Amino acid sequence: MITSTRKITAILVLMLFSLLLASCTPVRAWERGYLAKREMAWEPDGLKSALDKHVFFSKEASSGGNSAHGGGCGCN
Amino acid sequence: MDAALRSFPFQAMGSFCEIRFLEPSRIEARANARKMLAEVNRLEQKYSRYNPASFLSEINAMAGNNLGTKLDTETRTIFNHALSCYEQSDGLFDITAGVLRRIWDFSSGKVPSQTEVDRLLSHIGFHKLQFSKSRLILPAGMEIDFGGIVKEYAADSVARLGRSLGIECGLVNLGGDFAVIGPLPVNRPWPIGIIHPEGDRNLMARLMLEQGGLASSGDYERCFVHQGKRYSHILNPKTGWPCDGLRAVSVSADTCTVAGSIATIAMLKPEQQGIALLEELGVDHTYMTCDEQISGRGFITDSSAEKIADQIPS
Amino acid sequence: MTRKNTATGRKSGPGSKKLLALSTTALALPGIAAADAPPPFSTLSYKFTNYQEDDISRREAPFGERERYDIDVHQLRLITPTGRNTSLQIDGNQESMSGASPWFNIAGADGDPIVNLSGASGIRDSRRELSIAGSYYFDNATLSASTGYSVEDDYRSRYYGLSGQTNLHQDLTTIAAGISYADDEIFPTDAELFNRVTKESKFSTSAFVSISQIINQTSTLQAALSITEQTGFLSDPYKLRDVRPEQRTQLALSSSYRHFFVSEDAALHINYRYYHDDFGISSHTLDSSWYQNLGNSLQLIPHLRYYSQSAADFYSNVDNFVLPVTENQSSDYRLSAYGAVSGGINLVAPFGDWLISLNTERYIANEKYSAYDVTQPGAGLVRYFRVSLGIDYTF
Repeated sequence: MITSTRKITAILVLMLFSLLLASCTPVRAWERGYLAKREMAWEPDGLKSALDKHVFFSKEASSGGNSAHGGGCGCN
Repeated sequence: MDAALRSFPFQAMGSFCEIRFLEPSRIEARANARKMLAEVNRLEQKYSRYNPASFLSEINAMAGNNLGTKLDTETRTIFNHALSCYEQSDGLFDITAGVLRRIWDFSSGKVPSQTEVDRLLSHIGFHKLQFSKSRLILPAGMEIDFGGIVKEYAADSVARLGRSLGIECGLVNLGGDFAVIGPLPVNRPWPIGIIHPEGDRNLMARLMLEQGGLASSGDYERCFVHQGKRYSHILNPKTGWPCDGLRAVSVSADTCTVAGSIATIAMLKPEQQGIALLEELGVDHTYMTCDEQISGRGFITDSSAEKIADQIPS
Repeated sequence: MTRKNTATGRKSGPGSKKLLALSTTALALPGIAAADAPPPFSTLSYKFTNYQEDDISRREAPFGERERYDIDVHQLRLITPTGRNTSLQIDGNQESMSGASPWFNIAGADGDPIVNLSGASGIRDSRRELSIAGSYYFDNATLSASTGYSVEDDYRSRYYGLSGQTNLHQDLTTIAAGISYADDEIFPTDAELFNRVTKESKFSTSAFVSISQIINQTSTLQAALSITEQTGFLSDPYKLRDVRPEQRTQLALSSSYRHFFVSEDAALHINYRYYHDDFGISSHTLDSSWYQNLGNSLQLIPHLRYYSQSAADFYSNVDNFVLPVTENQSSDYRLSAYGAVSGGINLVAPFGDWLISLNTERYIANEKYSAYDVTQPGAGLVRYFRVSLGIDYTF
């Protein structure tokens, strides 16, 4: 368990660090053209993302990430 | 490439409007144009003073009622911007000055008496508006008019909508107020011509607009001459009389809204102060004085040789 | 002479203060700022998916059924603004599945596990789910509440969720957080016949927090963390011997990156997730997609995913019926150490207010792909092919 805790902390620190380090240039409202494109969204296809979460949840042991666990099903 | 440049002209907000954008698919273009037109109509229906069912008319109808009107976020932020314009113009840009329309009739050339003007002045003044939580209490006899803000805001809003619809190259024109959806490929500006106030035989100036907005203020049609003096349709809310400032101003800024605010404020000031303000703010601008001198910064004036104002080093 | 219009104004002096004052209030206008607001239009989406697992190999299942799951899924979603500051989302799903799943594993003559799929008739089940979510939009924040209900022949789940997000730094940063709760009940079919539990409950509470950051005009980065706590009956009642702890704590850390390549007119998606729970399972997930625009009317999206997990402490690939029923054990391949590679190509074609999408995925799990030590190779690892056809309408 000790190894796992260390691993988790390391990854967490790395992620937060990279987030802070990422040099951010102010992006004005009218400059957000690229970011507003469908293909730049976190989840361009809502139904596909929902189904992926469901399929991987039923066929693998892992779940979670960037959302709270949704509904349950008898598939796991 | 030319076939893909779509143009959708329409009539709105009392003027000729046009949305231009690149879109090879005609079906896609029509669907997007329809959505953008819907946004123009939405704002017009909501804030038009000619529409008795508009939200603005609702606000004005409640003048003198202490209950006030609950403002939604969009209206509240418009009032905030109007306050900002009021403060930055030392009270010259005042959205409560619309009542002056009642005594000035530019089409018939009627000039009011000083007593008429004084009586109305008591009903003008942004500072007289009372805001409590998200309600506006409008004192009796006062009237709100979003002229100088809503058309420019609509251009920006439609441009943002265009971008969210995936349009990369486009230009919104609402009666001479422009907002860029995206530059022409690749990163080339849109050429825009500013009509000469004396008529459309020449252009007063041209601007290459790559991003942001362009707004113009000027007395093209609605000025009149009375006893040898030229009066513009822009009325000074502090005196109740027309302004004696610049003849026409065009400003380009990061948003059409800000460009319009600056242009309007510059027009409300006496000529020299207006010019000083435009230069102080550092935005690209062009103006025409009463004796038809055209100058500015960042615009191309149509007279051949010199006339491109030297860029003031910043 | 043309001069490029920079339109940024002076950088200092009294003029710049005036300009800043005007710009600040203008940028707060909802039509200009990317302020929180309900979607301007309604969208109705439908997706049909067929999911088909490969037959289990003769080597792994020398006797009996070899056909595994075949599932059809219908998804329907409506998102619509309901007022100046509110919107509603309604989701309806229907799944029909047929086929068989591993029932028990015994050791073969060579010691390798032999998988027995459930019965000759297999399973025929359908699941129906309905969920509703409402959102309220403030100037710089959004609050959402949701609830849902899912029912199958042998399972029922009720779930609730609350989440919110807020923007900082002129919308460059978004922080989101949420909690959810689920209350499930399982009532296995043929319980008495097969000596299964008749009715059991499971409760699950989950929370997440995430930060998203706009890095520049073409890149965004997100980091998130989620924790889930499950209590109750967590075992699989359809397996002959499957005993799992009555409590499970799960942790997931994820990171996502999006970048737009202007000259290629394409976007790159990279997602990574690290997972760990107190069953002893850890996993890495790395997936990537490339959204390639072809002209204005087609988008081609190849995608690839790599997944690897370690085994649960109590996993064994052969069921041990001698062990007392109070000892944790499971031969469920989903608790073994293995890796999976999957990928495919998706297609998106917009037509005005309509959008057609096609998704394909081929998934192959194999203990040889595992990044973790494999002491007991999972028996009955799955391979599947999935294809979806979707249609969206904006109005």
